Amino acid sequence: MTKQQASKKRQSVKHQFAFLIVSIVLGFLFSYAYNTAKTKDNTMIEINSSDFERKEQLRENLIVQQERNKELEEEKLQLQQKIKDYEQDFSGSKEGSRNLVKQADNLRLMLGKIPGQGSGVTVTLQDAEYNPKSVNPNDYIVHESHVFKVLNELKISGAQAIAINGHRLEANSYIKCNGPVITIDDDQFPAPFIIEAVGDPKVLSAGLTLAGGVYDQLIDDNIVVVIDSSKELIMPAVQGNS
Amino acid sequence: MWLPLLGLLFGISLGLLTDIEIPIVYESYLSIAVLAALDTIFGGIRAQLQQVYDDHVFVTGFFFNIALAAGLAFLGVHLGVDLYLAAVFAFGVRLFQNIAIIRRILLSKWNDKKAKKSEETVQ
Repeated sequence: MTKQQASKKRQSVKHQFAFLIVSIVLGFLFSYAYNTAKTKDNTMIEINSSDFERKEQLRENLIVQQERNKELEEEKLQLQQKIKDYEQDFSGSKEGSRNLVKQADNLRLMLGKIPGQGSGVTVTLQDAEYNPKSVNPNDYIVHESHVFKVLNELKISGAQAIAINGHRLEANSYIKCNGPVITIDDDQFPAPFIIEAVGDPKVLSAGLTLAGGVYDQLIDDNIVVVIDSSKELIMPAVQGNS
Repeated sequence: MWLPLLGLLFGISLGLLTDIEIPIVYESYLSIAVLAALDTIFGGIRAQLQQVYDDHVFVTGFFFNIALAAGLAFLGVHLGVDLYLAAVFAFGVRLFQNIAIIRRILLSKWNDKKAKKSEETVQ
């Protein structure tokens, strides 16, 4: 009789222990799930609101800054015009210094400080049509080396001012290959690349189309090249911090 | 009787105090484990009321269901099938059924009691 009681008691202790474990696990699961759900909600709300406000603020700052830049740029151009006018007045009064003024003008044109204007050529470099036979897309897209070739040829042929896709190049401009686009002075430009050069159109286009020259090399590289001589090219002054 | 209650309190405080964050990928496992635990608890209550309760079935069912649900979710993630939805569905349906049965049993018990009482008053 006592043996039976003892075994019953042992069993009940066992059951109690099992229950204890079950209830601990249950409590842990519930509160842990509750905790994770709560923290997730909180963090999401916080991130959303603070991020959004910060973005908005930064965007506004950027817009204000850009407007200020534009204003200053215009002011700069006006002041340069003023200087030019003064110089012209000066040259009118003194015959001898006319040459100097002309030289200064030319130098400014070369540095890109003033808008360039005059006859010249426009070279358009475009990627070739997609060729299903070619595995490597590098075989038919325009690389920065092609742009370099054209630029060098134009400069050798006496181009006075050059702009790519409306971006005026200055003496220390850089061009960098950046995947499908090229980067010119921190700005990215996609193909097609329209290279405008002010200079003698005859000389420039002749230089480009020399037998075995730039034009032929570009055609060899499957690039669509269009050379146009134009009578009147207008290119903007160099923008930015100069 | 007080031992499981104490254990529940201990478990809740343990869960609230733990600061471990689980990756979002595993959150579905946690939810499904909670669901499985709930299902087993209500299943146990129902069994108790129907007088077919068995300790071993309950305890093994509790852990086995949790493990199975998590395992199913794991398998689903790796097979690209939302198998954890199957577990959610199955447990959800069973949860409702169990609760409905519990309610009916309690209701009939209550009715019996009332009938007895009225009989007594009549006598």
